[in-house]
Amino acid sequence: MKQLFPAKQVMGFVFSLILTAIALAVYFLDVSFTAGLTILIVTAFVQALLQLIVFMHAGETKDKWSIYGNVYFMIFIALITIFGTLFLFSWDM
Amino acid sequence: MKIDHSQPLEYSTGQNNLNIFGFWIFLGAEIMLFATLFTTFFTLEHRTGNGPTGAEIFEITPVLIETILLLTSSFVIGLGIHAMRLGNKKAMITFFSITLLLGLGFLGFEIFEFVHYVHIGAGLQTSAFTASLLTTLGTHGAHVTFGLFWGLSIILQVKKRGLTPETANKSFIFSLYWHFLDVVWIFIFSFIYLKGMM
Repeated sequence: MKQLFPAKQVMGFVFSLILTAIALAVYFLDVSFTAGLTILIVTAFVQALLQLIVFMHAGETKDKWSIYGNVYFMIFIALITIFGTLFLFSWDM
Repeated sequence: MKIDHSQPLEYSTGQNNLNIFGFWIFLGAEIMLFATLFTTFFTLEHRTGNGPTGAEIFEITPVLIETILLLTSSFVIGLGIHAMRLGNKKAMITFFSITLLLGLGFLGFEIFEFVHYVHIGAGLQTSAFTASLLTTLGTHGAHVTFGLFWGLSIILQVKKRGLTPETANKSFIFSLYWHFLDVVWIFIFSFIYLKGMM
């Protein structure tokens, strides 16, 4: 039974619950908008990386750099799309 | 077909390696799909017109339950893949079934949430904010719904054919899809709900 629950994945799960609890602080505690957004950005991206490495086994095979390269490139394009649009339409720069 | 026994079943053939890599490319495109939805949402979230704002309609309890359900299901399917690598078919099917039940629970809460929004006058056509909100949430929910049928088919096939390089490969790819949906939800939870309620 014990071998069905590998320590690495159990720790990953506990850690992602802790990150969720930290993110909840922005709702339950009185934090400024900037501080709150900073907390959310950190907890969300750490949690996404955790999923990628611990649960999706991204770094296990010979083609790991093709996998990471593809994912990081798409995240880069995604961020350009989101912030590029915000620059133009919301922040008026 | 050349089978490499030093690798787990899902990676044991050249075809399997390519299938998994191909699915990562697809997930890259999915990142972009959700990025455009987030872009639209962030641009339009304050255009509420005569409708309600996010802070007025979001409720922390159902959102938190949805988050815990999906987070747990992502962990459980990870255990399922681990059991698959140990060759334990029974445990794998059990974990996959629990995953789908948690996914079904998530979907139930989300449908309830949608009905509630429409009921309080925050439907798809109320404002730019509600339209982009419901489109983003709905696209994620549609992915979960599709995943439930996909996962069910995987379970049936593993039951019928056992753990072969092909079924292990399909199961692993499904687990990637499911984890990806959890990643998307983390961003929805953080930057739509929590940011909206802050």
